[in-house]
Amino acid sequence: MINFLLRRLFLLGTVLFGLSLLAFSLGYLFPGDPLQNFSGIRQLEPQLRAELTAAYRLDHSYLSQYLAFLNRLWHGDWGLSLASQQPLLSEIRQVLPATIELTSYALLVSFLFGVPLGILAAIKPEGYLGKIINTITVAGYSLPVFWWALLLIMVFSVGLGWFPSGGRLGVLYEIPTVSGFMLVDIFLAETPYQQVILLDALRHLALPTVVLATFPTTVMIRFVRDAMLEVWEQNYIKTAKAKGLSRLQVLYRHGLRNALLPVIRQIGLQFSALITLAMLTEVIFSWPGIGRWLLDSIYQRNFPAIQAGLMIISVLVITVNMLTEILHTFFNPLARKR
Amino acid sequence: MIKYCLSAAMLALGLAGCSAEQQDLRADGLVYCAEGAPEHFNPQRVTSGTTIDIISQQLYDRLLDIDAASGELRPALAKGWQSSADGLVYEFDLRHDVQWHQTDYFQPSRVLNAEDVVFTFNRIMDPEHPFHFIGGGIYPYFQSVDWASLVKQVSAPEPYRVRFELSRPDSSFLSNLATDFAAILSAEYAAQLLAANTPQLLDSQPIGSGPFIFREYQKDVLVRFYEHPHYWRGPAAMQQLVFDIVPNNARRMAKLLTHECDVIAYPRLAELALVSERPDVKVQESTSMNVGFWAFNTQRPPFNQVKVRQALALAINQRAILQAVYFNQATAARSVLPPTSWAFNQQLATPEYNPQAAKALLAEAGLASGFNMTIWAMPVQRLYNPNALKMAELIQADLAQIGVNATIVSYEWNTFRRKLTEGEHDSVLIGWAADNADPDNFFRPLLSCAALESGSNRAQWCDPVFDRILNQALLTDDQLQRRSFYLAAQQYLQTEMPLVALAHSQRIQAINSQIEGVTINPYGGIALFSARRVQP
Amino acid sequence: MRKFRLYFEEQHRSPLAQLWREFARQHSALFGLALFSSFLLLSLVAPFITPHDPYLQADNLLLLPPSWSEQGLVQYPFGTDDLGRDLLSRLLKGTTFTFGLALVTVIGALLAGLALGALAGMSQGMKSSFFNHLLDLILTIPSLLLAIIIVAVLGPGLANTAWAVSLALLPQFVHGIRNAINEQLKKDYVTAYRLDGANNWQVLTRLIIPNIWEKIIVMSSMALSTAILDIAALGFLSLGAQAPIPEWGAMISDSLDLIYLAPASVAIPGLLIFAAVLSVNLVGDGLKTAMQRRRES
Repeated sequence: MINFLLRRLFLLGTVLFGLSLLAFSLGYLFPGDPLQNFSGIRQLEPQLRAELTAAYRLDHSYLSQYLAFLNRLWHGDWGLSLASQQPLLSEIRQVLPATIELTSYALLVSFLFGVPLGILAAIKPEGYLGKIINTITVAGYSLPVFWWALLLIMVFSVGLGWFPSGGRLGVLYEIPTVSGFMLVDIFLAETPYQQVILLDALRHLALPTVVLATFPTTVMIRFVRDAMLEVWEQNYIKTAKAKGLSRLQVLYRHGLRNALLPVIRQIGLQFSALITLAMLTEVIFSWPGIGRWLLDSIYQRNFPAIQAGLMIISVLVITVNMLTEILHTFFNPLARKR
Repeated sequence: MIKYCLSAAMLALGLAGCSAEQQDLRADGLVYCAEGAPEHFNPQRVTSGTTIDIISQQLYDRLLDIDAASGELRPALAKGWQSSADGLVYEFDLRHDVQWHQTDYFQPSRVLNAEDVVFTFNRIMDPEHPFHFIGGGIYPYFQSVDWASLVKQVSAPEPYRVRFELSRPDSSFLSNLATDFAAILSAEYAAQLLAANTPQLLDSQPIGSGPFIFREYQKDVLVRFYEHPHYWRGPAAMQQLVFDIVPNNARRMAKLLTHECDVIAYPRLAELALVSERPDVKVQESTSMNVGFWAFNTQRPPFNQVKVRQALALAINQRAILQAVYFNQATAARSVLPPTSWAFNQQLATPEYNPQAAKALLAEAGLASGFNMTIWAMPVQRLYNPNALKMAELIQADLAQIGVNATIVSYEWNTFRRKLTEGEHDSVLIGWAADNADPDNFFRPLLSCAALESGSNRAQWCDPVFDRILNQALLTDDQLQRRSFYLAAQQYLQTEMPLVALAHSQRIQAINSQIEGVTINPYGGIALFSARRVQP
Repeated sequence: MRKFRLYFEEQHRSPLAQLWREFARQHSALFGLALFSSFLLLSLVAPFITPHDPYLQADNLLLLPPSWSEQGLVQYPFGTDDLGRDLLSRLLKGTTFTFGLALVTVIGALLAGLALGALAGMSQGMKSSFFNHLLDLILTIPSLLLAIIIVAVLGPGLANTAWAVSLALLPQFVHGIRNAINEQLKKDYVTAYRLDGANNWQVLTRLIIPNIWEKIIVMSSMALSTAILDIAALGFLSLGAQAPIPEWGAMISDSLDLIYLAPASVAIPGLLIFAAVLSVNLVGDGLKTAMQRRRES
C-alpha cells in the first residue's frame, strides 16, 4: 500500500510539474506583453517595469524565469487580474467554493439516482424497464448541456415559476461569506429569516444541480449496470444462488459491494468532464463559480486570470482523480498490484 | 425505494409552494436588474450611463435638478441662486438641513455646507488638489465642457453660500450644474480618508447625501443600498435597494417574468408586446433626448477624407436599421440633436440610401476598388442602441454592396470602452444620451476638441471652425441667437459627416405591476427614491 | 421447396459480416445508423440543396413564424430570424459546420493519433515512460477546457475551433491506440511474425492495425460525439463560429435574445445537435454491443 501511495505521489509530482510548465509557457503564448501577462498590472510605468523585470527575472534565461515563476506561485503571488487589478488568488478563493458546492451536490444526486436505476436496469436487461432506462440513459448522454439548461429554465422557471432562473440566492438576502459554501453560511448567519433563506437557497440550487447531474447520472447508470451484469456472471454469485439465498440477498450481500467498488474510481474519472459541464452550467445559470469566472476572463482577454484559472482547475481535477484512485485502491486489494 | 422517491417529491413540492413566506423581507426591498456593472461610485469621473444609473440619483444630490416634464431647472441642494449682470459670478444659497450618510466607515459631524461644494469642484479643477489625481485625474464630462478654463474660482463667502467666478459668460453653466456628474461629495469624509492615507476609497466606498446609503458591492454581481433615514426629502419608501447586474438581455427579461427583479433596464423592444399582455408586469415609456450614431475615426485614413465618410453614409439603409434593430420604435435621425430640442434644424436634408452615389464618391476619392474596415459594436444594450451587433451585421451587408469589406469587432463592455478611448477603432456604433436640456450637451461632449482630449469624442474629430461656433453660442443668453449658431453647427456637421446619426429612441422600462413611483428622467439616470410596492 | 443440402457445410461468415448481423439485430443501433447517414449526407450536399441563401438578409420578412402558424409562409418552413434569414437553410448549412467539421476534426485527430500512438506503442523504455506521463498529464485537463484555452490563445473563429478541438481530442486517441497496440504486442502471433523476420513497420501495418481497427472505430465514435458537443459549446460561447456563420451552437446563442418571441429558433438547432450526438452514440453503442456478442457466439 505504501509503495502504491509513493508511486502515486511521484506521478502527482510529475503531473504538477508539467502543469506548471504549461502555465508558464502560456505567459508567452498569449498575445500581448509577457510582463503584463505574468503580473496582471495594467499601467506599467518604466520604473515599475524595470523593477518587475528584475523580480521576474525576465532578462535571464527561460529556466531562471521559470524558477522565479514557481517561487511566486509557492508564496501565493499569482499576479493581479487585468480587469479588476485585485490579487488573483483571493478572487479565486471567493469563486471556487461555489463550483465545488454545485459539483458535489450534482455528484451526490448522480450517485443517489444512478446506482438504484443502474441496478434496476441490470436485473432484467432485456425487459421493459431495462429498455426504458437504457433509452433515457443514451438520451441523457447525448444532450447538449446548455440546451438542456435553457429548456429547463423555459419550462420550470419562466413557464411554471417554480424555480428562479439563476443565481445562488435571492439578492435581497444578505448572508456574510464565511466558508463560501452557501448552505453552511446560512446556518452560520444570525438572521431571523434563516428558514426562508435556506429554502430560497435550495430553490436556487435545484435546477443547476439537475442539469449538471444529468450527464454523471447517465454514466453512473450505464456503469453500474455493466458492472452488475459482469458481477452477476461470476462464480460466487452462482454459489450464493445455489446456497439458496434469495435474489435480493444475493444482490445486497455479494453483488452490490463488488460492483460498486469501481464506481468510486469512475467518479474520479468523470470529474474532469464534470468540470467542463459545470462551466457551461454556471454560465447559463449565472452561478458565481470558477467556471463562469474563467469564461468571463476569456471574454475580457484577462490573460493572468486565464492562466491562474487553468492551473487551479487542473490541480482540482488531478487531486480528485488521485484521491478517488487512492480510495479505490484502499477498498480494493486487487488494484494494489498495479 | 418507493418511500425514498416519495419523500424527494414531497420536498420538491414543499420548496415550490413556500414562496408565500418570503414576502416579509421582499416587500421592503426593490431589485433593479441593471445591464452592466458600475465602474466605481463617483459620478464626477464617468460618462457611462450604466454607472450613472446605478449611483448618481441614489447616492448623491446636486445643487440644481432638472424638472422631468418641462426641462427647467429646479432648486435641490441650492435653495436659490443669483447671477451677476455680466454673467461672470453665480452665487448659490444652500439648504441648512442636508444630512450626510452614516455608515460603519464614516460618522458625519455636521450637515452639508459650502465647504463640501468647494471641495467637490476644486477636486475637478485644481491639479494641486490632493484628490485631483486619485483615480486617474480624468473628469470626462467636465473636461469636455472645458470646465477648468471656464470656472476661475469656487469659494464659500459664508457657511451656506457658494460663489462661482467664471472667466467668460456661459449660458449652459447652470444646466451643467444640474447634470448627474455634478454630484456633491463630503469634504469631511475626504479629510478623514486623507488622514488615514486611503484617499482612493472616496470613489469606491462612497459617502453622499442622497436617498440611499452604500452597503456593499460584489464585483459584477450586485450593488446593495439601504435607505438613508435622515434624507432631507424624507426617507425612501423602500428599505433596501439592490442592483442585480445582468448583462444578458434574455436573462433580464426572464428575471422580470419570474419576479426575481422588480424593474429591468433596457427590455428588448421586440418583447414589449409580450410583456404588455401579462398582467403581472407593465411597460413604461417616455421620450428621451438621445441619439444613436455610427462614428468614423477621422484621424485614420481613409476616414480622414470627407468624400469617403459621405460615401459610407449614403451606403447604409437607415430605414432597414430602424425596422430591424429599433422595431420602428425610434425616430429617424437627421442630426445628433433630436427633433424635440428647441435648437433643431428643420431644414436639414433627410439622409438617403444611394449605393450608386456612394460608389461614385468612393471612386472620386480614389478608392474605387473598395477597402477593409472594422465596425466596433457594443456588446450591451444601450438607451440609444438596443442591438449594436445586429446593426453592425446590417451595415456589414450594406457595405459589401459598395465593395467595402467590414469586420465586426466587439469586447466585454468595460474593455470595449477602454479600447475605444485609446482610438483603436476604424468606426464604432455607439451613441449619446443627454444629461440636461441644453443643446450644447449634444455637441460639446461629443465633437469638440476638448472632448477629444477627455476621450468621449468617438469620431476623434477636432475642427476649430466647429468649436468656434459652439463657443459663440455660449456667450449669449438669448435663445434665438443661440439657435442660429446651433443651426449653423448642424449644417456644418452634415457637410463634414464625422458621424452618421441614425436614430433617437424612446426610453422604455419594464417593471412589475406592483411597483409605483419609478421615474424616468429624460435627462439622466433613473431615480428610485419614490419607488414603492403598492400591493404585497 | 427447401434449399437442398447434399452434405452439411459449416457457414462461416467473415468477422465483418458477423458484426453487421449482430449490429442489425439491435433496432436502436439501426435507427442511429440511419440518422447518422442522413446527417452525413446532409453535411455533404447542404450547400446545394438549401432553398434560400443562408446569408441573405430579407428586410421585409423579419422574424417570420414557422409555416405551421398562421402568419408563416410555406417558402420559409421554419420561419426567419430577426435579420430575415431563412431558418431552414441556415440549419441545413449548419450541418456542414457542426457535423461535418466535427467529422473532419475527428479524422484529423485519428490520423495524428495513429502516428503518435504507434510511436508510443512500439517504443520501449525511458522514451515510452516519459511519453506516457506526458499523456497522463494532458488527459487530466478536460477536452473542452483545453479547447477553450487554445481558442483563447489563437483567438475566436471556426478555423481555430477546428484546430483546438482536434488538439483536444488527440490525447484520447493516442492513449487508446497506444494501449491497444501494447495489448496486441503481447499476443503470440506478433512474436511469431517477428520470428519470421518482420520489421516494426510490417508488424504495424499488416498485423496490428487490422486487429485494432474495430477498437479505433469505437473510439472514433466516442470522440465524434465529444467533438460535436465541443464545437457546438464553443459556438454557443461565441468563442467558435462567429456571425454570420450558421453553426448550430452559434445559432442558439444568436437567437437567445429572441427566446420569448421565436422559441423555435433556439429549440430546433439544439434538437439537431441532440439528434446528431444521439445518432453517433447509438451507432457507437451498437458497435460495442455487436462486438461483444460476436465474441460470445
